[in-house]
Amino acid sequence: MTKLDHKSSAAGGNGNVPNPDLLTAEIASDQWPGDEFDTPGARFRDGVREWWPYYLMLAPGLIYFALFHYLPVWEAKLAFEDLRIIGPNVWVGLKHFAQLFASPAFFEVLMNTLIISAMKIAFVFPLPIILALLLNEVRSGRFRRGVQSVIYLPHFLSWVVIAGIFIAALSPADGVINDMRDMIGLERRSFMTESGSIRWVLVWSEAWRSTGWDSLLYFAAIMSIDPALYEAAEMDGASRWQKMRYITLPGIVPTIATLFILNVGLFLNAGFDQVFNLSNDAIRDKIDIIDTYVYRLGITGGQFSLATAAGLFKGVVGMTLMLGAHFLSKRLTGRGVW
Amino acid sequence: MQKLSISRRALMAGLAATPMVGMLPRPVRAATGSIRIVMKDLLTTNPEDVAHIARIEEALAARGHDISIEIVDLPSEGYAEKLNLMLLSGDIPDVIYFQGGDEQIAQQGALMDLRPMIEGTEHLAPALWPHNTARMDNYPYLLYVFPARTKAPVMRRDLLESTGMSAPTTLEEWDALLRAIPGTEVDGNPVTYGIIAPNNTDELDAVFDPAFGIDQTWLQDDAGTWIHSRISDGERQKLAWYASLYADGVLDPEFVTSNWEVKEDKFYTGDVGVVMGTAGPVVGIYEAKMAQVNPGAELVLLTPPAGIQAIDVSKESRGFAVPVTTEQTDAVVAFLDFMASPEGQLMDRLGFEGEHYTRDGDTLAPTDKLGAWYPRFVYDNPNYYQPPISPLSELAQASLQQGVDGFRADNTFVWPADLAAAVDGAETYYRTNAFRFISGELSTEDDWDAYVQGWLDAGGQAMVDYAKEVL
Repeated sequence: MTKLDHKSSAAGGNGNVPNPDLLTAEIASDQWPGDEFDTPGARFRDGVREWWPYYLMLAPGLIYFALFHYLPVWEAKLAFEDLRIIGPNVWVGLKHFAQLFASPAFFEVLMNTLIISAMKIAFVFPLPIILALLLNEVRSGRFRRGVQSVIYLPHFLSWVVIAGIFIAALSPADGVINDMRDMIGLERRSFMTESGSIRWVLVWSEAWRSTGWDSLLYFAAIMSIDPALYEAAEMDGASRWQKMRYITLPGIVPTIATLFILNVGLFLNAGFDQVFNLSNDAIRDKIDIIDTYVYRLGITGGQFSLATAAGLFKGVVGMTLMLGAHFLSKRLTGRGVW
Repeated sequence: MQKLSISRRALMAGLAATPMVGMLPRPVRAATGSIRIVMKDLLTTNPEDVAHIARIEEALAARGHDISIEIVDLPSEGYAEKLNLMLLSGDIPDVIYFQGGDEQIAQQGALMDLRPMIEGTEHLAPALWPHNTARMDNYPYLLYVFPARTKAPVMRRDLLESTGMSAPTTLEEWDALLRAIPGTEVDGNPVTYGIIAPNNTDELDAVFDPAFGIDQTWLQDDAGTWIHSRISDGERQKLAWYASLYADGVLDPEFVTSNWEVKEDKFYTGDVGVVMGTAGPVVGIYEAKMAQVNPGAELVLLTPPAGIQAIDVSKESRGFAVPVTTEQTDAVVAFLDFMASPEGQLMDRLGFEGEHYTRDGDTLAPTDKLGAWYPRFVYDNPNYYQPPISPLSELAQASLQQGVDGFRADNTFVWPADLAAAVDGAETYYRTNAFRFISGELSTEDDWDAYVQGWLDAGGQAMVDYAKEVL
């Protein structure tokens, strides 16, 4: 069968409707679909032709990721080079990695990153889930919407503002938290400078900022659960707790699993903006994370190659963790990121 | 034959005079060219900057230099980072103002040694400050002809009088004054704390380091071995004194979480008695703002107990560099030399006639706007040139003079790139532990040895080993 025949069979006589006679003949001759017609390229072309408005809408996103997320990957080769602003960079192999790993400060920074990230996942990650479940139980729609509006607000504040709020609120001299401790007979404490408390400040300021906003995803997942399940449960006499336990929670497990895996992938992103703004010299050794280290040493110190090596290390570890979590989740639950 | 004799005499005279040529002012050659300059806060969006550059071009033209100057815009926010990224992208102007991040580029051989360019210039060479010369000897790639950024301690005159003490001159007198301030009333309100330094102890150290024997970064012990001042006995005594001030409520307990804005606010509102300000314009700003917030309030400049802290002359921390790629060297020299000349200084330090100052014959008078003007390029050593009027108050000028009179060169040096991580690690370790000593979490009696070992382990040992080679 010729190429022309394929086209005529696919498009049909009027250009839209396949000609059933020709189709039958092709099937009978066992030559359709032909290799040429069924190539991925052809399918892609047909797909684009049919869905081009959607591809057009997708294009800005694809271009953004290509330019700002994939293209820079190539420039990570700077980690293996000495930077030159005049002339080509000089290949130095693993020199910068050796320098990085020889620094005791780097392991302290790595440990801080792991501890802070683990604390956030353990204490902050469940909060939006709990909040979404609680909001779902609120009967008054007006009250629920009001609460949602209020708890979303901190998400829109920058860390500069939030740091100012927390530093003022936790001030040992006149901060509201210490005033409250004073009222109940507890001693005033300098939470911002005590090595034992500063990581908790990071955890709870993160929770304050993001719990409301992050609950949106879970709340949306709850909304997509079939109402018939609840009706059936009610007919069977299920209590509200039982409906939450046996319908709502299982209904949002895929969302929880996906977000957990993505969070694990971002495990080493312990929050540059937050740490940068809440840090001070008294507790820097407790909350100095890879990102702040890279910024201080690389960007402000001009050690771009060393900073790129640290960044690449972080990226590789993050990717490994995410893939590990994905495959583990696939094995245990049958669900992963893809 | 006669001609030959004359020629021979001329030749011999010329040869004899040759060694003296370098000592004579070198008339700048008529230069032609186009300079691209990138500098923090120098923007084409600021009409004042554009007009300033335009009149500099005119003045250069009047001197026979056909030079055009192009401003390369770069946002002031995060300037150092953005400058580095611009240079990495291959856009390299002819004059680059660095505010950090220059070492990496200088180590690549991409910046010119500026000493041959400056040597023998008519105005620029004699306009240098003592610290400029010392820094150029160690690191000849940056030029910043401005006063050293020393710190000057100031307090309200009426507060000092209320304590019943005179201005302190010794550490004991300082200690007594600082302890007397909390609770002393000014304007009917008691002052809460004696002193504050924002973020860390740097500003305290600038005043008190020499009083504890820390007169240089690297000190020699009794055996003649070089040790870093961070682990010296003087440092231990100093931290113990800071700790006693902290424990007694004299040093603001929130100093480490206070930035410079908080510091100034506490000073103006009477929460804190003594602050340190950068000598010169910043002290002038403190004086003006204090008078604005508390009408009639005057500041008094205090004297550090044992002179000011030694000035880091390892390199300029900021300043102008010229890349080796430029083909406009003559034009750059002509431009900078003009800015150091009396005519250039009048423009750069006093602003625009009619706006920032007025002229009546040979007499100049400042307007209210002079305080808002600031010099962009060069601020001559006062021994070479002083403008007929100064935008600085007497107090601000006195603070500058304090820095000039007390100038002592530090013996610190530029670290090689390979030690960047070690230096960062040791400094972070010092900063956190210094606060723990001050806050009482650690004891200078019991925990000092462990601290010293920790500092060495955190990168200090690599620093000490390198210092032994350099010093």
